[in-house]
Amino acid sequence: MQNPVLVLMSLFVAAMGLPVDTFAQNSSPGGWLTPNWEKPPITDANKKPAPRRNLAGMWGPAGGPGAGTQAAGVQLKPNNGRPENQLPYTPGGLELYRSHKALEGIDAVLPAQDNDPRNRCEPLGMPRSNHYNIRLTQIFQDEYKVVILYHYDNRWRVIWTDGRELPKLVEGGVEIAGEVRERRFFGYSVGRWVDDYTLEVQTVGTMPEDRVWLDSTGRPISEQARVTETFRRVDNDTLVWSETIADPKVYATPWDTMRLPMRLHNPRTDIMEYYCSPSEQENYNRLFGNAAGGKGAP
Amino acid sequence: MRSGFVIVSVIAVGLLMALPVAAHHGSAVFDTGKKVTLKGTVKEWVYSNPHCLLSLDVTGEDGKMVQWIAEGQAPNVIFPVGYRKDSFKAGDQVTVIVEPVKNGRPMGRILQAVLADGRTLGVASSPPPATSAAPQP
Repeated sequence: MQNPVLVLMSLFVAAMGLPVDTFAQNSSPGGWLTPNWEKPPITDANKKPAPRRNLAGMWGPAGGPGAGTQAAGVQLKPNNGRPENQLPYTPGGLELYRSHKALEGIDAVLPAQDNDPRNRCEPLGMPRSNHYNIRLTQIFQDEYKVVILYHYDNRWRVIWTDGRELPKLVEGGVEIAGEVRERRFFGYSVGRWVDDYTLEVQTVGTMPEDRVWLDSTGRPISEQARVTETFRRVDNDTLVWSETIADPKVYATPWDTMRLPMRLHNPRTDIMEYYCSPSEQENYNRLFGNAAGGKGAP
Repeated sequence: MRSGFVIVSVIAVGLLMALPVAAHHGSAVFDTGKKVTLKGTVKEWVYSNPHCLLSLDVTGEDGKMVQWIAEGQAPNVIFPVGYRKDSFKAGDQVTVIVEPVKNGRPMGRILQAVLADGRTLGVASSPPPATSAAPQP
């Protein structure tokens, strides 16, 4: 009789929808593949059709490892002072923005003055995780959910695709079956396939504005946010990840933050750790950050 | 030991303005466009988050030794451009070009490094995004 544990493990792996290994070549010594960012453009000659209702794979920004960092602000609206990148702040939203002391963007301050929760290794949550160093990002899925593994700080997030309803935003959190449930850093995400190649995801129930930021330039986001993402698998090797936020507490109108093309990478690629470690952060500040950001020569 | 020297030059480097950064100090601390070339002896190479740090003893033209600290981005960011845990070892003679901090302290971020074995590595950050790689769905 077969070992039931092995059988269960096999079924689990199959259910997770692991992509077929189309990257048979393994030239890395010892088998530990490093990321390969040198990819040929997708053309009619090499384009393969997208699999139906399947986002699984290891994805990286199509423009290369630096194309998803968004250090200057969300991808579609960098915080550079240009008129086209001004945001539709409510009066309260603008006040919030001015209270944030960021290390990036047009209003950047020196490290001694910053109050970015990231620098205390607080979780970025949603939607900031979509706007902070998007590099190699893994997506797994089964018939009930899609799971995103973010590189930065080894965070993961579940998007339910089993037909459940999006919770209702209420005072203090969200309402599920008559109960008020807690706010979460990654909120509550529900996805539905709008066609065989496009998953639309709604997220609510995220953290309030004193816990999280929208991006590294100090743009705010509140617990009233409703985040809409679309994941459109254009072909086998291309996924376009888009995002729109509606947050009436902070922004007068919804606006688009991201439309990031991603390329499929070898699923056996080894990803280096990218943790926010308080002790490493402290060591860095002691050796460099504090002195570099201080005023005047010693 | 060969004496190092410091050459400070002010060069407008427009490309540097576009460096993608993921800094824990922000770009505001750096004197964008300036370059300082350092020749010296490696004291320590810290390959760690949130930024890698290279300590370097550099002897100036006045004969005084100054310890510089040059930073790179996090290990996972600079790995693709060739920086490794053993790229620098204590005692190595290296040449490093940095973009200095504004406040005059002997600190900067690594724009280029010539290693002890003669290899040259570029900016210790992500390579700039490829504009042609983005598909047009």
